Amino acid sequence: MGKAEKTWLLLVVLTLVGALLAETSGAGWPLALAVAGAVIVKGGLVIDHYMEMSRARASFRRALYVFSGIIAVMVLLTHEFGETIERITTIY
Amino acid sequence: MDAVVEQIAPEAQEDERIGHIPGNRGIWVGIFCVLVEFTLLFGVYFIAKAHNPDDFRAGPDTLVTTAGVAITLFLLTSGYCMVKALAAIRRGDTRPASLWVLVAIVLGMGYPIIKYLEISWYVDNGIGGGVFYGTYYYLTLNHLVHVSWGLMGLIWVGARTALGGYDAEHNSGLEAAALYWHTTDVIWLAIFPLFYVLR
Repeated sequence: MGKAEKTWLLLVVLTLVGALLAETSGAGWPLALAVAGAVIVKGGLVIDHYMEMSRARASFRRALYVFSGIIAVMVLLTHEFGETIERITTIY
Repeated sequence: MDAVVEQIAPEAQEDERIGHIPGNRGIWVGIFCVLVEFTLLFGVYFIAKAHNPDDFRAGPDTLVTTAGVAITLFLLTSGYCMVKALAAIRRGDTRPASLWVLVAIVLGMGYPIIKYLEISWYVDNGIGGGVFYGTYYYLTLNHLVHVSWGLMGLIWVGARTALGGYDAEHNSGLEAAALYWHTTDVIWLAIFPLFYVLR
C-alpha cells in the first residue's frame, strides 16, 4: 500500500470515527478536543500528502496549517470562553 | 547502465521535488484568498455559536450525519484520484492520468447531488430556521460554490489531459487544479465536524 492509499484510508477511518462521535457524544470538553484535533490532523494529512506540502517550502506549508490551526483554536476558545466572545461581539 | 538509471531515476525525481511548490502563482493567490475568505466565514460561525449556544448544541442532532459523511468520503476519494492522476502524468502516462481525473470528477459530482438531496429532505420535513441553520446554509452553500468552481477546473484539465495538453515535464495546470480541489477538501474537513459533530 502506497503513501496515497495509507493517507486516504486514515482519512476515511477518522471520518467514520467522527460520524460515530456525532451519533453518540454529548457536548463537553472531550468532544471539543476531538473536533479540534480532527480539524488539524485531517487537514494536515491533506496538506502534507495530497497537496505535497511535506516536501514543499516550509512557509507555504505553515501558511496552510495556520488555517486549520485557527479553526481548531477557535473551537476550544468558543467552548471555554463562549460568554466572553458573546460579550465582546455584542453591538449595543 | 539504462537499468541503473531506471533504478535511481525515481529517487532523483523525488529529490528534485523537495522544496518544489506545485501549481503556479495564480492558483496560490486564489488558494490563499479562499482560505482568508473562509477564515472570516468561520469567524461568523464562532460568533453565532457564542451568541446562540443552545441552537448550536441542538442543531447537529437535526442534520443528517450520513449526508455529511457521504460528502466527506466522496471529496476525499476524489482528492485521492487527483493524487493518482498527478503521479500518472509525471510518469508520462497520459491515458491513466485522464481516467483518474474523470473518476475524480464523477466522485466530486456526488457532492452537489448529495447536498441537493439533503437540503430537499430538510425542506420537505420542515427542518431548518434559526441561527444554526442560517449559518449552516451560509457556510455550506458558499463551500458548494467553490466546489463547483473546482469541478469546472477539473473538467477543463481533464479535457486537456485527455487531449495531450500535459506531459511528464509540463503539468503545472493539472497540479494547480488538483491543489484547488484539495483546498476545498481542507475547508470541508473543518465544516463537517463543526456542523455535524460539535455540540
